[in-house]
Amino acid sequence: MIALKTTLAGAVGTALIAACVLALAPGLNAADAPTGNPEAGKEIANDRKLGNCMACHVMPDIESPGNIGPPLIGMQARYPDKEKLRAQIWDATVANPDSSMPPFGKHGILTEQQLNDVLEYIWSL
Amino acid sequence: MNKIIMLTAALVMVLGLTWGGVALATPQADQAIWQSYYQKRFPNVPKEDFINGVYAIDPVSRESWEAIEEFPPYEMAISQGEKMWNTPFANGKTYRDCFPNGPAIAGKYPYWDKERGMVVTLPLAINECREANGEGPLKYKKGPIADILSYLRYQSRGQLTKVEIPEDDPKALEAYEKGKQFYFARRGQLNFSCANCHVQNPGNLLRSDILSPALGHTTHFPVYRSKWGEIGTLHRRFSGCNKQVRAKPFKVQGEEYRNLEYFLTYMQNGLPLNGPGARK
Amino acid sequence: MRTHHFSAGILVAALAAGLPTGSWADDQADFEKAMTAAREARKKAATVGGEWRDIGKFLKQAEQAAAKGDFATANQLAEKARRQGELGYEQAMSQKDVGLPAYMIAGSK
Repeated sequence: MIALKTTLAGAVGTALIAACVLALAPGLNAADAPTGNPEAGKEIANDRKLGNCMACHVMPDIESPGNIGPPLIGMQARYPDKEKLRAQIWDATVANPDSSMPPFGKHGILTEQQLNDVLEYIWSL
Repeated sequence: MNKIIMLTAALVMVLGLTWGGVALATPQADQAIWQSYYQKRFPNVPKEDFINGVYAIDPVSRESWEAIEEFPPYEMAISQGEKMWNTPFANGKTYRDCFPNGPAIAGKYPYWDKERGMVVTLPLAINECREANGEGPLKYKKGPIADILSYLRYQSRGQLTKVEIPEDDPKALEAYEKGKQFYFARRGQLNFSCANCHVQNPGNLLRSDILSPALGHTTHFPVYRSKWGEIGTLHRRFSGCNKQVRAKPFKVQGEEYRNLEYFLTYMQNGLPLNGPGARK
Repeated sequence: MRTHHFSAGILVAALAAGLPTGSWADDQADFEKAMTAAREARKKAATVGGEWRDIGKFLKQAEQAAAKGDFATANQLAEKARRQGELGYEQAMSQKDVGLPAYMIAGSK
């Protein structure tokens, strides 16, 4: 019984160390690890009561989109740093106080998971 | 000591003059900026044409709107309102007893009532007239209030918007300032101010809708909106906008919306009244 | 070990009798605490004109969930309402001195 417990503790410890090493490894920080699902993100982005991105942005597969914000294309070129894009969706008024974009994260319009999903989708455009 | 005060005063004056519109934000200066902003943004639109809302800046939808205006959807409301105007209350008196200069009185509203220390709007005055004569007040968003407003505003067509902010009462200026703050304050979960859409983005597309410029925004109410399928009042529209940005709407004809109407109507001074109107 | 079995026995008996158990009473108390906090946050936002549209709806839904014994949902909704009250208050305070924006003044020249 005691032996079994020790083995278990050892295994858990190893796994923890492995997780830490992974997290610290260059190029594999939390921002780059895909925590969102782009397919789910597309649905959320196109949902009128959630993302409703097309109210203001030209986007793929959307008829008569709005043009208040810039078209959502070439996103990885515009935002090489994915975290910057995330910050923009979280609260665009931080970077530009006059921005009329709703603060999807700060105001809880999307949940953390939904925001991560949308981030993956938008970043893929 | 005196020198320091004088110096400071001089400095404040110089800075004030340099900052122009910011430090010397009088209602007159605000209004000049407001009206010039839209004319600079839409240089091909004659100033008076802004009373036609989005149709002033969008020739495509203007055509179908003009067709609608040939058989206006608010005609019934005008004749209903006329009937109301001419029908005596239970006590034998009529609206004319309250409004001896009626029915063409819309240009007088909203105004600052010094004795009461508040902005008085036309719908408020109508209900106060009713209550003074033993009649129940009308609901403020739609229905009979929109009918009588349609009649009064139709009779007032062509009068010029001429809101006054009396300089001898600082409370009037305070009400104006509150209305202005309301207009430019972001609110609701979506974090939009009135200005985000109608100052910053008129002419741009919100999905397939062209956002209308705020110059002229008060002249055509009450309005038949296709979206409503009926006529509604200005405060109903305020309330709807607030809900759309996910803010809790304020009481119609409450202090917030009356102050907002005071500010917003003052911004349109000089523009002719053309209500009732028809809009998408 | 024996005491453990004993208290478990009481719990089962209490449940069977339909009496409020300690944990139900705790849940109810926690929920009420969350609701009080939410109502206060809502009121605070309202005093500065910063209340958001759906707070009232969340509070109602929270009460309904609690009445059904679904305290997880109830607390989540109460928490969401409280958060919105706080955000609405912060938002209103951040906007209290706004006037004609710089882009409008610049655009008028």
